[in-house]
Amino acid sequence: MCLTLTRIRETDDAEVGAGPLGSGAMNETPTAAEEFESEALSYMNHLYAAAMRLTRNPADAEDLVQETYAKAFAARDRFEMGTNLKAWLYRIQTNAFINTYRKRQREPRRSDADAVEDWQLARAASHDSGGLASAEERALDAIGDMDIRDALAQLPDEFRLAVYLSDVEGFAYKEIAEIMESPVGTVMSRLHRGRKMLRELLREYARDMGVPGAVEEGSHG
Amino acid sequence: MDKHCEEALDRLFEYIDGELPDADVKELAEHLKKCPPCETEHRIAERIKQMVSRCPRETAPERLRERIFAIVAEARGSE
Repeated sequence: MCLTLTRIRETDDAEVGAGPLGSGAMNETPTAAEEFESEALSYMNHLYAAAMRLTRNPADAEDLVQETYAKAFAARDRFEMGTNLKAWLYRIQTNAFINTYRKRQREPRRSDADAVEDWQLARAASHDSGGLASAEERALDAIGDMDIRDALAQLPDEFRLAVYLSDVEGFAYKEIAEIMESPVGTVMSRLHRGRKMLRELLREYARDMGVPGAVEEGSHG
Repeated sequence: MDKHCEEALDRLFEYIDGELPDADVKELAEHLKKCPPCETEHRIAERIKQMVSRCPRETAPERLRERIFAIVAEARGSE
């Protein structure tokens, strides 16, 4: 390795995002370590945004991402280049969150086993009340980014993470299963239930804003 | 809501997430065309997924970058 700390500082000051450190600085084929470093750093913003969703505060999010990189670089020999580094980093971050930050945050946890059937009933009710559903669709126009963030923050950790990994990061179910170290069926159940809760929360927000159509929720069932 | 609707709604998320096999995608798409209530459910699910995906993401603050670059420098030193 011949990249120096000076080079790091230059990259740092240049505000080039989390791009590869020193890439293009030399006409040499990058080593595996350099490739790992460069690719791992390119996910810094992604990991930070995900950490913000997980921890819900900047100080914990920063600590979590720092811990993720410390663990990743300590274990980099165990990573096989050419496999999915992004998913591997998310897995480290998810584990770190579960082991450290969630304990610290002492959030009351809702069990995965609760109310599995509820969403199926609600879904049937929604399906059979066509007019209400289209009114709900229009009510979504009133929902802003902050409402989405706020609603996501209210989901239990596992649901929030599954929804985030699927909708924001575009991971496949199989990848989410690896990241969360859970069977694919569990991931699907978390997605179903997380999205159902999210939809209910957004409906509540629209109702609170007095949006027509969002008001009659629950009257059909 | 009949059996077809139930099946369609069961697989709606797999459909919007691109996780359904091609043959099932075709079948589900056909059903959605014929069934306005299911199509509305589909549009709502798709819409919320898009709203979540488009939500602006925070950028890693400078002090975090510095902390991580320190980890990288240390890792280089230990090679």
